[in-house]
Amino acid sequence: MAESSQSKSGGKKRSRSESEGDPDADADAASLQSIQLENDLNFTDTAIALQMMKAQFPKLDKVVVRPFILRSQLYSSVKDRTQVDRDLESLKKEAVVRVFKLNTGKDDHAIMFMDDYLAQMENAVKRYDAKDKQLSDVFDWFKQYVIKSKTDVSISHPELCSLLSNGGDVTEKHVTLLINAGLLTCQLIDQNLYWFVIPNIGSILKGLSQGRKELLSLINRTKYKEMVLANLEKKRLRLSPLDIRFHIRDLIGSGLLKTVQSPIGLLIRLSRD
Amino acid sequence: MGLRKQVMIVLARASCNELGRLLKNQGRSDMRPREGQARPAQPNKHFVWSRVGFVFRLVCSSRLRRGGREELYMWTWKALNQREDGSLRPSAFRRGVVSSRASSLQLSNAKEFISLHRGAINSLEIDSTEGEGRYLLSAASDGTVAVFDTHRPTSSSSSSSSSTSIAQHHPLFHLPRAHKFAISRALWYPIDTGLFITASFDHYVKLWDTNSTQVVLDYKLPAKVYGIAMSSIATSHSLIATATADVQVRLCDLASGAFAHTLSGHRDGVMSLEWSSSTEFVLITGGCDGAIRFWDIRRPGTFLLLDQSLSQLGTRPSLLPTPTPSNNESTSLPASSKSSSSTPILPAQKRRSHKKIQLKPPTQSSHPGMASSQNRATAHYGAVNGLRATADGFYLLSSGSDSRLRLWDIESGRNTLVNYEAMSIQTSKPIQLAVTPDSSLVFVPCMASLKAYDLWSGTTINTYRGHYESVNCCFFNAQDQELYTGSNDRQILVWSPSIPAATQIEEADSKGGITSIDQDNWSD
Repeated sequence: MAESSQSKSGGKKRSRSESEGDPDADADAASLQSIQLENDLNFTDTAIALQMMKAQFPKLDKVVVRPFILRSQLYSSVKDRTQVDRDLESLKKEAVVRVFKLNTGKDDHAIMFMDDYLAQMENAVKRYDAKDKQLSDVFDWFKQYVIKSKTDVSISHPELCSLLSNGGDVTEKHVTLLINAGLLTCQLIDQNLYWFVIPNIGSILKGLSQGRKELLSLINRTKYKEMVLANLEKKRLRLSPLDIRFHIRDLIGSGLLKTVQSPIGLLIRLSRD
Repeated sequence: MGLRKQVMIVLARASCNELGRLLKNQGRSDMRPREGQARPAQPNKHFVWSRVGFVFRLVCSSRLRRGGREELYMWTWKALNQREDGSLRPSAFRRGVVSSRASSLQLSNAKEFISLHRGAINSLEIDSTEGEGRYLLSAASDGTVAVFDTHRPTSSSSSSSSSTSIAQHHPLFHLPRAHKFAISRALWYPIDTGLFITASFDHYVKLWDTNSTQVVLDYKLPAKVYGIAMSSIATSHSLIATATADVQVRLCDLASGAFAHTLSGHRDGVMSLEWSSSTEFVLITGGCDGAIRFWDIRRPGTFLLLDQSLSQLGTRPSLLPTPTPSNNESTSLPASSKSSSSTPILPAQKRRSHKKIQLKPPTQSSHPGMASSQNRATAHYGAVNGLRATADGFYLLSSGSDSRLRLWDIESGRNTLVNYEAMSIQTSKPIQLAVTPDSSLVFVPCMASLKAYDLWSGTTINTYRGHYESVNCCFFNAQDQELYTGSNDRQILVWSPSIPAATQIEEADSKGGITSIDQDNWSD
């Protein structure tokens, strides 16, 4: 059942990307498309926004990271936040996307498509060569049992062990290996609870928080604490590898910036409160 | 032009005062038969309503900036007509007027409270006696308590700029040294205003007699008290639930003067608590560990723990059975199966041949309630610093220091995923939320302003900016549809429904819409 849902989400992804730009479609893909059309007939705003932002994710040169979207970016594009939350919840349950809690600031969440996350995980595992080859089975068990069944952002130690033991005998060393490879992190308040994390994302998160501060100070320095969006877009941030469009969406969604219509165009203003 | 405008403004203001009085009388005189009064009232009523009608036609014909207000006025005008010919019931009319007043609050220019507190105001409460919520009890960080009369002003000051005078309410009494340290909460006794209860950071909960302002009873608690609550629907018990920095919630009995029992299960201090508004035995507590627990005080232990990852799509629980989450620690357990929650952990342990995993042994004590202390489900990512149940007892609002406000469906115990737009909630103190009795608006103190959100969709209806520093508490007076807020700047501000027509005419004037009013055959 888990595999079929995986292929279904893969089919959904494939058919959408086909419809986006590929002119010469295979007979195979066309038939797949026609079968899957009933899944694709109705889109939600959230799904479209996710696709669009994934396409606009900046190209990073130093680190290879698959595209992820912040939750606050979704809030900036789709008007109704409650609907975004509910759509995200159903996408999570269908295992199309995965949500991670980030440690930058309060209530930051990152959303990543399931196949992107799995690819990222593969890269991380390949890069991290385990000293003990027996223990590296745990990565397969993790992928097969834990990711598929647990759709939350965190997991408790007993539950992790019970899910992993579906694959084989699990010891502390296995869990340590998972943490060292960057797939899990201990929570600060409670040692028995773990967060799921996107591996190899640390430098980008640092860039995220510094970029936010830089953008806010940029607007703060202007006389009236506002700036025309067209001018703002052309600037480059020194401290963050992510582009400015990413940060603008994020800050508007979290309420620190607001947009104002004016005769010149859209203005970005620092919101006071 | 100027004179005509001024005359119209005066006329409009007078008509609206008349309208306000008319509406108040309308609500109160529903029960009285109208046949006897029909004749003499007729000419008066028509005169008033013709003036009112003129004003409303005026207002609706001019271009209004806020479209929503225009619809509100159109509704009120139509509703008056319908009420007159009997097609709208008095209760429906009253509900509509009350909700329109509640959504149009502004800083009051007719009423103010002169607060003698010299510290941040932490708690505001109006007594809940039947039909007359009149006395406002306020408590501050300097250990002082004051009571105000909201109906009768003590004096009035006339300001030179406007012709209206501001009614000033001085405190009926002000206790300068009620507690040694800051008072975190002050409550009226739910039955009448003869007693009130205060809780403070000096570890004491004191019961006061209002008339003599003397302490009748006091309870010493082991840690500083963040909040207290008494059930307003309780008939068989008179327990004060106290939330302290200690992990246990203590219930103090008024009748005997001693502690009744303690509820343990929280992992960290308890910051906020609330009795259920539908059952007298259910207590809801929110802790610094982010968990919200439901306790039935007749039996030990938590019977429900709210988990933010369990959600339902929609504000009513779904009729189809939802797949239960795969985790072993189920969150909503009836009392009989609580002991079974510890057993699923054991087979997993047996499956492993290596004994290297140090699993926390299932709890030693045998009573079923303790099993839920293993449950780490959190309702918020930070401390839960405000709880408020809706008046019908179906939903619970909780605010956390992760700056989120969540709406929970109490019956199913799930997160309804309503997203209340960006807010920033102060993290160190418990705050007091307010909900209108018809469950349409929720008022949340966000730093130096107060925001009003629509309860079901989460959109911001209004932001009330008037305080200079962080707002700590707010109370919605359902009788008069007024909002009282207290903040760190030692002020209590009153927000009352705004008088609509005068402001609208002045706005219309500035936009040049006055010409259309002129065209509205007001020829002389």
